[in-house]
Amino acid sequence: MLQSQTMSKVELVAPEEDVIRATETLAVSGVFHPVHGEGIAGGEDTTDNGWREWAAGFADLERRILALMESLGVAAGAPSVKAPHLINLAVAKLDVQHLENEAQVYLRQLRKAQQHLKDLDQYITQLEPLAGLDVDLGRLRNLQHVFVLPGTMPLDNLERLRTSLEHTPFELIILDRADYLASVLLFGAQQDAVILERAARSAYLHPVHIPAEYRGTPAQALKSISVGRGRTWRHIVEIQDKNEQLQEARVKHLRYLLWRVRASRKMVETIIGYEHLRYTYVITGWVPTAELPALKKAVRKTSENVVFEIKELAQEDAAEIPVIMSNPAMLKGFQGLVTNYGYPSYEELDPTLLLALTFPLFFGIMFGDVGQGLLLALLGGLLISRKIRSLRGMAELGWVILACGLSAICFGFLYGSLFGSEEILTALWIEPLKETSDILMATIGIGIVVLSGGMFANMVNAVRNRQWGGLLFGHHGLAGLLFYWSMIGLAATSFANVLPLSPVWFGGGLGLSALLLIAAEPLGQLVESRQPLIEGAAGAYFVQATFELFEVVIGLFSNTLSYVRMGAFAVAHGALSLVIFILAGMVSPGQGIGYWLVVVLGNLFIIGFEGMIVGIQTMRLAYYEFFSKFFSGSGVRFQPLTLIPPDK
Amino acid sequence: MGASTVSAYAQLQVQARVQYSRLLTPQRLQELMQVENFAALLSSLLDTAYAPYLEKVDRSLLTPRRVVYQLRCRLAASYEKLIKFTPDPGHQLLMQLWSLYEVDNLKATLRGIEHQSSWEQVLYLLSPGEKYWTVTFDKLQDMMRSDDIATALEVLRGTLYYEPLAHALNRYQDEESLFPLEAALDLDYYRELWKSMQQLTGNDRQQALRLIGPVIDKDNLLGAIRYRIYHRMSTQEIINYTLPFGYRVQDAHIRAIAAGEDIGAVVRGIYPRLLLAAVDFEAAPGLALRALEVELNRQIVRRCRIVFRGAPFHIGLPVAYLLLHEHEIENLTALIEAKDSRLPLEMIKSVVDFMPLDSQLERS
Repeated sequence: MLQSQTMSKVELVAPEEDVIRATETLAVSGVFHPVHGEGIAGGEDTTDNGWREWAAGFADLERRILALMESLGVAAGAPSVKAPHLINLAVAKLDVQHLENEAQVYLRQLRKAQQHLKDLDQYITQLEPLAGLDVDLGRLRNLQHVFVLPGTMPLDNLERLRTSLEHTPFELIILDRADYLASVLLFGAQQDAVILERAARSAYLHPVHIPAEYRGTPAQALKSISVGRGRTWRHIVEIQDKNEQLQEARVKHLRYLLWRVRASRKMVETIIGYEHLRYTYVITGWVPTAELPALKKAVRKTSENVVFEIKELAQEDAAEIPVIMSNPAMLKGFQGLVTNYGYPSYEELDPTLLLALTFPLFFGIMFGDVGQGLLLALLGGLLISRKIRSLRGMAELGWVILACGLSAICFGFLYGSLFGSEEILTALWIEPLKETSDILMATIGIGIVVLSGGMFANMVNAVRNRQWGGLLFGHHGLAGLLFYWSMIGLAATSFANVLPLSPVWFGGGLGLSALLLIAAEPLGQLVESRQPLIEGAAGAYFVQATFELFEVVIGLFSNTLSYVRMGAFAVAHGALSLVIFILAGMVSPGQGIGYWLVVVLGNLFIIGFEGMIVGIQTMRLAYYEFFSKFFSGSGVRFQPLTLIPPDK
Repeated sequence: MGASTVSAYAQLQVQARVQYSRLLTPQRLQELMQVENFAALLSSLLDTAYAPYLEKVDRSLLTPRRVVYQLRCRLAASYEKLIKFTPDPGHQLLMQLWSLYEVDNLKATLRGIEHQSSWEQVLYLLSPGEKYWTVTFDKLQDMMRSDDIATALEVLRGTLYYEPLAHALNRYQDEESLFPLEAALDLDYYRELWKSMQQLTGNDRQQALRLIGPVIDKDNLLGAIRYRIYHRMSTQEIINYTLPFGYRVQDAHIRAIAAGEDIGAVVRGIYPRLLLAAVDFEAAPGLALRALEVELNRQIVRRCRIVFRGAPFHIGLPVAYLLLHEHEIENLTALIEAKDSRLPLEMIKSVVDFMPLDSQLERS
């Protein structure tokens, strides 16, 4: 739990003809974390054997498939293939082209029919105002003295058209207005036809000519158009029905192609990341040591020609070893809080367990109340149970809330607080509102223990990394711890006289540890047998180290005092609860319904509002005061090679 | 001025001023003008604020066209940053201002389809920075893959540009010219820009009108004159292809030009203090139009410079900076093309119209 899984570095040398199969095997295994080195260009051979062109081809194909799916209203859906082989690019292109053509035929048919329907609607709009006229349309089309231009034009251009014709007699009748277009009739004198036509054209008035096939009076033409409209509508439905029959097979095919192409692109991009020698590819990556035999066997099964080698770990590998954090399910929520800060590096302690101990402790101290803690614990339990579908994603957080709730219950008993009331339970330890200075001192004490714990954890990390200098003389190493304790001891004996030792002892410890901290770099270099002891001028080093010591003093002092906030929040929690009872008393002095309503709402407010603030403060104490002592968060997350992205 | 206005614009004005201070200095402009050839110009540009954008591309790939593209990347970054920090409705105005480049990209793509160019040929003619656009490079590439304009427009279905273009498509098919499509896009763009300005209130609106209004005026006026002189359009056509609004150029001015009145007199009526006495739109229309364009550009630059001297808490500051930056890039583009063609210095001076900033002149 405190350390990540043991990892091994492996190197596979695959001949050109086996590189694809080897990559497939590694991807399917789900345990290979590839290391992208200098890539193909970094090897002896600077040609890439067309891989980059392939990658671009697959990327383009993927985009085309997605565009096609969008035009057909098909979603990408879940991956339809689990372990896809590399698809032949040329064949896939032909396949996509075929689907595109097929879709184009359908879309063209549909759009043509839709356009026809739109045209018919336009004719209806144009003719409806004339429905009462008992005139033959043929005569209207061949008027001798009157110019008539029915059509559609953008609404925004209406006024401009009127302005442009200010010196020409005309009439512009708006028959209908849609979102963007208006249906209009432009009337004028036939002698102005050229002017009117040019003006109409430049105002984007698109003429709607009612075809000659619609004869008779406008009312008769309208009747024929309505019949044609019904026919066109049925035609559209037929096209759509026919398409739906094809759709099922097409959707399946498109999704299959999409995921094959996606996987192929990923594979090609992965191969581009390999080092390329003249006839071989060198594949480097990390594998959990426990998985090595199975992977080796799988690779051997793929091809006898692939060389599988376990590499010796070099010093410079340390920073790039990926980390798998192994924590039980109930700690996953805390693990999430840790990874939110950063991943532990390979040789670093995984702080999840430490956080699982301290986080609820801090929260409980600040939010100690049996009733409110119980509600929080119930909420946590509800989330863990995954009974509410929409909250299933928060199941891991449920464990954090449950732990915080239980801790709040414990501290509720210690503080004697139940739903904000301190009258019902007897405090087993302290009443924050009445013993303010005691709770503040107690939380400082807890802070000292936690910070010391952080320093111990840092020393463990130093031992694991064989950083003996850091272990003995680091700011958060043995010298730093001695300095911190001496500082605390000196303060305690000088101001409160609560320790059995004389201040002289602590003064001595402080002086000695200060000297060790100032000389940390040369001493560290000495114990690790490294040269030079001091880089640059010695004078400059000691001046800088002395100032750094001041920074350490201030840092330790402020970090320690930072824990006072726990006590302060415990007091604030009590005060806030008191206010609620005062308000409840004001609303209903006789403790009627109003009284209990205010108490319930007040408690809910405290749980929601103060609970959130206390949560943030707890996180702050963990991240800044505690983690900063021993946790760098600079690790690399283990991300096994996969050709099908899990989130898609 | 309310506290909310100050707090909303505090960060924005800092951003705009920081960016403003990074515009090219007079010394650098002179150096750029004096360099021997395109290669030397590129080396000089690598010593300016454009360097990070140019360094992203291998030097061997930096053709004049690619250099201009990389310069525009900086403009895109400036727009994106300022749009992000600007509160509404100023935010909408900057988005609309920025969408001019989206419109230009669409036009370039339509021309590419018309000339059956490849995507690679069109790509670096486009403006980068698609973060706030609905027509992304992917969409443009899909358009390029179409056999014809009608199919290409289908890619735009669901965007703001689809309706005006789809409606203008009949005219494109009748006339076999992109003009109706491009004019429809332009008219629609300026109308939306004007609407965005109308949504502002108080000092913001005043500042936007003072800065963007002259830009609209310039394009509207020059457009009307060109339609009359070069395209020989009828009165009605000129009116329909121009805008009825503006800062100083009013509908009456456009109608007068459309009706055939003396262009010089109309222009002098709009800008009585403009130094255009020697130009004659009838005898030498090309020269006259160029002189008018230069003068109007200078007027815009002067207005933008003044904004940085006054009260800072308004939309004018980012708008002014962006217009100045655009002006700088337009000039650098002309300079790059001139140096690549090895034009003599005198000729370059006639095409490049650098207007150094007051603050920079003081510094120099």
